Amino acid sequence: MPVICNKSTARFEEVCSIEEALPLLEFLKMTKAPKVDLRHCSYLPTALLQLLLLARPHITAYPEDAKLAGWLTPMLQNRLERDCVPIAAS
Amino acid sequence: MTTLMQRFIPESREYLESAASGLLRLERDPTDQGLVNEVFRAVHTLKGASGLFELPGLTRLLHAAEDLLGAARENQLTLDSAIVDLLLDALDRVGHWVDELERSGGLPMDAEGVSAELSRKLRALLPECEGSAEAVSAVSQILPPGWLDNFTETEIQSAIAILGEGGPSLLAIDYLPNDDCFYRGEDPVNLLLQLDPVVAVKLAWHNHPVPLAELDPFRCQLRLRALTTMTKEAAEGLFRYVIDQVTLYPVPADALRPPVAADPRTDIEPASAPLAAIRATSAPLANSGMAGRLLAGQRRIAAMPGDPETLRRRSVALVATLTNLMHSLDWSALEFDLDGAGLAAAGGTPAPLLALIDLLQARLPVTADQSPLAMTADKDIGGLVATGIELRKSSRMLKVDQAKVDSLMTLIAELVVSKNSLPFLAKRAEDVYGSREMGREIKDQYAVIDRLAQEMQRAILDVRMLPVTEVFERFPRLVRDLSRKLGKQIELRMQGEDTAADKNIIEALGDPLIHLVRNAIDHGVEMPAQRLAAGKPECATILLAAFQDGDQVVIEVSDDGKGIDPAVIRAKAVEKGLIDAARAQSLSDQDAANLIFLPGFSTASEVSDLSGRGVGMDVVRTAIDKINGQVTLTSRQGEGTLIRLSLPLSMAVTRVMMVEIDGELFGVPMDGVLATVRIAATQIHHIKNAETFVLRDSIVPLVRLRALLDLPMQGEQAAEEAVLVARVGAHTVGLVVDRFREGMDVILKPMDGLLAGLKGYAGSAMLGDGRVLLVLNLKELL
Repeated sequence: MPVICNKSTARFEEVCSIEEALPLLEFLKMTKAPKVDLRHCSYLPTALLQLLLLARPHITAYPEDAKLAGWLTPMLQNRLERDCVPIAAS
Repeated sequence: MTTLMQRFIPESREYLESAASGLLRLERDPTDQGLVNEVFRAVHTLKGASGLFELPGLTRLLHAAEDLLGAARENQLTLDSAIVDLLLDALDRVGHWVDELERSGGLPMDAEGVSAELSRKLRALLPECEGSAEAVSAVSQILPPGWLDNFTETEIQSAIAILGEGGPSLLAIDYLPNDDCFYRGEDPVNLLLQLDPVVAVKLAWHNHPVPLAELDPFRCQLRLRALTTMTKEAAEGLFRYVIDQVTLYPVPADALRPPVAADPRTDIEPASAPLAAIRATSAPLANSGMAGRLLAGQRRIAAMPGDPETLRRRSVALVATLTNLMHSLDWSALEFDLDGAGLAAAGGTPAPLLALIDLLQARLPVTADQSPLAMTADKDIGGLVATGIELRKSSRMLKVDQAKVDSLMTLIAELVVSKNSLPFLAKRAEDVYGSREMGREIKDQYAVIDRLAQEMQRAILDVRMLPVTEVFERFPRLVRDLSRKLGKQIELRMQGEDTAADKNIIEALGDPLIHLVRNAIDHGVEMPAQRLAAGKPECATILLAAFQDGDQVVIEVSDDGKGIDPAVIRAKAVEKGLIDAARAQSLSDQDAANLIFLPGFSTASEVSDLSGRGVGMDVVRTAIDKINGQVTLTSRQGEGTLIRLSLPLSMAVTRVMMVEIDGELFGVPMDGVLATVRIAATQIHHIKNAETFVLRDSIVPLVRLRALLDLPMQGEQAAEEAVLVARVGAHTVGLVVDRFREGMDVILKPMDGLLAGLKGYAGSAMLGDGRVLLVLNLKELL
């Protein structure tokens, strides 16, 4: 299981899978000031990213994986806007 | 090859087989909803599994097949023969690719093209072309105004930089994943990031984000936008499975805002809410070591080499991170020429940026490492692994490498043979040590070991037993394809598919049976018109039957076709010079039909690609001989042909009859032995210089094994001869031996090394007392 939640920190290990979404959500809900350690994360599925974006936990470490860090860091550091542009009529 | 791939290959074969056999049954009864589901599931599962590997061609083809089956499942189309043909073609192709994967670890070079072509054909069959995924893509969508506002100035600027270079055109991607996309295994963000090169990615909440307490983590609420310089075709390829959720817009050059003169740094968004919270307690952040680690991480990223495109994208990210970090630490970003350093890094000179990060690191207070945290976490992993093991349920089926079963079987067979030494030991106890008591006890123990050994042998043979379905299941397809090709109507019936035989036997049966079934279709069954004229039903029947007969497995292939015309066979055999005319006339009709087993005999006037290369039946007999089986043929002209294969159940242990000649022991395979008789010298008749005797009203030639084996003849003729009556091929022969000994189970070891060329011996075996027993091959000897 690559997402390991202890008292206040959820540690993401290597390839994380969507199955972690429920335990992670539980962790984010139940923990007062949740922290997330992404240092050893090498793959982050959208469902987990969505949780992180929503709950905005304190990220104690960004991934060492440069490619992942490259896109993840700005994403997690900037506030997510609510969608303002209407979907193009098709 | 990875373990995953090793599992995928056999599994995919199973799915392909079940899908193909399901399709064949479906063709007969297209309304069977259960069957449609079964086939659909097989193809669907296979497609899903193939997605684990980088096999786009294979996955795409399976996807097309799945769509077609999906339409059939929803009763939008009926699976007629043409569709089934195409689907079978597709499955065959996938089968070849799987073979190729096993051989070389990849798909053949032409896989992509073949896949595209076949997928196109499959999709063309879909009702109302809306199913054609490629057609759905928005071809000439115009970028909605304001769309680019989603991106920051920096990102727009890098986009402008790309366009300014006169390079490739920019493509905007708007990806609105379905709510339930996670359930379909889609991973929108990571899919988007597979765009290469990606200029910018932007995420947004599609609706008001649900509060955490009510959140369903498996609903996607994001909307994704990206800019890329990829071509539209390549992007469509990437998003082929979610193309209905994606809109692609070409970005016109003038849609990009002209570069703003103002300092871009003012454009940077204020830090987001959590970061603001962190900023409020910036001292802990600085002390926590996180800032230091973040900087160290950024420094590593900045120092990494890469192609210009990667460097540029990376520097954008680096600058954003550092800016935010400085915000949260309440340091003024203006103190440092971040953007200048970022631009230099994008240009391939990371030195200014590295120096800047070093400067920032020097400003941070020194903190202690947080190793205790790491240690507790490690302990957690240990606990998790332990529970994982407990949770893993043992599966009921065990897949074992055949070699392991084989070596186990060899060991058990050795045990069976070595237990044979106990009776010798008992005899020695009596004869040499004079202890009858001891001899009897050894014999008692021998009985126990004997029983156990035989049970073990039976058990291990059971493990190796396979049902004949293994070979039978390919025939529905074969019969269907061939009969369609030849314009004949044939129904294939199968009986006794559960009959089991040793794996080696089953495997050796494959090719001979294909020959036989092809022969039956090609030569046996007549054209529908001929059948009607002969008063038979238009649709012919080919019956494949298997059953057990004693320690033999019998497989019968019969057809109700035209049978074999003995006159034609006779003429043909004479014409080919296989036998002379006089002999041909003297043969009974039955024997004449058996002439087709002669090497080089072919009744087909012209060589077709089905059968009739003049080798067919000869090959069948050779292959069956090799596994100690027998082939018999009965045919009635106008009524049909029946070919019967009798095979041993197993070939691990050979039972031999031991005979003594000139003080030496020889073995004769028991399955050739018909009888052991004692013939008085007076009963031996001499025909010219050949000896014969009469056994059950037929004349049996008599052969002296001493003469055959070049052993010295006995001086005087005994009053009574021990004769072993054996079947050699189609003939019966009496073999004169000195004495009969007991029958025995042995493991026959073929002659190898220097003895490999020796004719007349099937092999050698070890006797319980350590002697070597030579086992005769009567066919070669006579």
